[in-house]
Amino acid sequence: MMRAILVKRNDPRSEDEKNELQMNELRELAEAAGYSVIAEMTQTRHPDRKYHLGRGKVDELAQIVADLKPDKVIFHNPLSTMQIYNISETCRCETIDKFQLILEIFATRATTHRSKLQVELARLEYELPRARAVISILKKDERPGFMGLGGYEDSYAQDVKNRMIRIKSELETIKKDNESLRAHRHSQGFSLIALAGYTNAGKSTLFNALVAENVESKDMLFTTLLPITRSLDVQGRDVLLTDTVGFIEDLPHWMVDAFRSTLDEIFLADVVLLVVDSSEPLEIIRKKLLVCHETMWDQLQDVGIVTVFNKTDLISEEELQECMLILGYLAPNPVAVSAKAGSGFDGLKSQMRDLLPEWKRVTLSFPISKEGMSIVAWIFNEGFVHGVNYDNGISIDFEARDKIISKAVSLVEKLSLALFL
Amino acid sequence: MFDIIAVDISGRHKVKDEYLMVCASVAASVTADHIEKVNQVAIRSFRSNSAPDILYVVKMVEDTVSELKFSGTIVTEAGDFYNKPQWLIDNMFTHDFKYQESLSERRCIEIAHHVSLSSRKLLLKELGIQ
Repeated sequence: MMRAILVKRNDPRSEDEKNELQMNELRELAEAAGYSVIAEMTQTRHPDRKYHLGRGKVDELAQIVADLKPDKVIFHNPLSTMQIYNISETCRCETIDKFQLILEIFATRATTHRSKLQVELARLEYELPRARAVISILKKDERPGFMGLGGYEDSYAQDVKNRMIRIKSELETIKKDNESLRAHRHSQGFSLIALAGYTNAGKSTLFNALVAENVESKDMLFTTLLPITRSLDVQGRDVLLTDTVGFIEDLPHWMVDAFRSTLDEIFLADVVLLVVDSSEPLEIIRKKLLVCHETMWDQLQDVGIVTVFNKTDLISEEELQECMLILGYLAPNPVAVSAKAGSGFDGLKSQMRDLLPEWKRVTLSFPISKEGMSIVAWIFNEGFVHGVNYDNGISIDFEARDKIISKAVSLVEKLSLALFL
Repeated sequence: MFDIIAVDISGRHKVKDEYLMVCASVAASVTADHIEKVNQVAIRSFRSNSAPDILYVVKMVEDTVSELKFSGTIVTEAGDFYNKPQWLIDNMFTHDFKYQESLSERRCIEIAHHVSLSSRKLLLKELGIQ
């Protein structure tokens, strides 16, 4: 197992509680990426242009690195190329920031072509503004003119740009395939439901419990990177439930862009299940819900949201009620479930059913015949049948989408016309 | 349902040696993810020779909100108050105050933003200032 030292710079006058939470999250991220944390260091000050921390603190860090010999130094704060270079030079150890760490996690878990492309695109997006500076530092002595400040090598940045264009066009093709798949699923009468929420909220466990599937679910950040879709019966309606990647605080816009095709699964769903880990302290739940609202608000169209308070087996009924009451203003349509214990699913399904796009209920009557029976069979497939009566012909009472109802009406009209002639 | 007043200010930059700002406030009833009803919208313009400091922004917001017939918690973006902590700003207001959190609050502020921006554009056009 690789060893890492975690470093965080706190802003002066920032809340201790928030800093503690961010450090915890960084620790969990490092563990998810396969590092064992051997030391932690924090400093409260405004950022230094050269080292991010104070010069003295970096020397202290260099001493710790020399004693403990870690594989990496991981910073919580975003670092500039110069800062990474200066810290690495002083400490003689590879230095990365939180976003590179997230990229590392994504890169190790990416298994499909699409997720590999997304990770590569995110890495290049991160690298592009740094590409020129890296070459500039590396070729410091080679450049023409006094003190070496002349032209700089541009080909690497250009190469990064070209690779990004190629990957984007490939992802665009995949996106189109997914869009047509989504449209096909809609036309087939499936409504789309997506699981969303902060990372490690228990989305995959809930997914497994709802659809009796066995996707990987662990007490670890970013266990799911690739959306997985399975069908689910919600009180007579067939829906497709999608498990997605979790949100995280301060997710930079370039990462959201790179994972757009994955996040679209959430943004283009008919209903979003916003999963919350209710066993955590109230303030943490509030902050995580805030991150979810922030990530989703600009993208969501007219979508129904169900807030799923998960892991209720770990708290008492009073604590749950208090949590739901206080966070009511951030939690639309709240439902309490325990994915592990399997409780609360009926309430969740009825809430999902209420928010699904509406189907109309009609009654059609037509004579009993071979063709008539095939219409009945087709309606059973496409809609939800409340009752069929075979006295004096067929009378079928059913619920379905507009398209199916109009097709059924035209089929019945055709059948009546054929019999009349 | 909760009653909120979303506020946004446009024009916090210098145009012809002065700051021509428009503050819009939107009184609405919201749930966590939807705006149920927009009750009233109020707009006020402000002129200043210097960049608005926090106290002036508070004054602008209070003046605009006072024109509304509806009450509610004032909601703004953190950037409107130079990202100062909420407790600090809250103490300066006579009304309840908070930064935006839920989807509906953000949507309401978006409405206030469009109102203040378009009314400022109209005002500049009428005054012949480009």
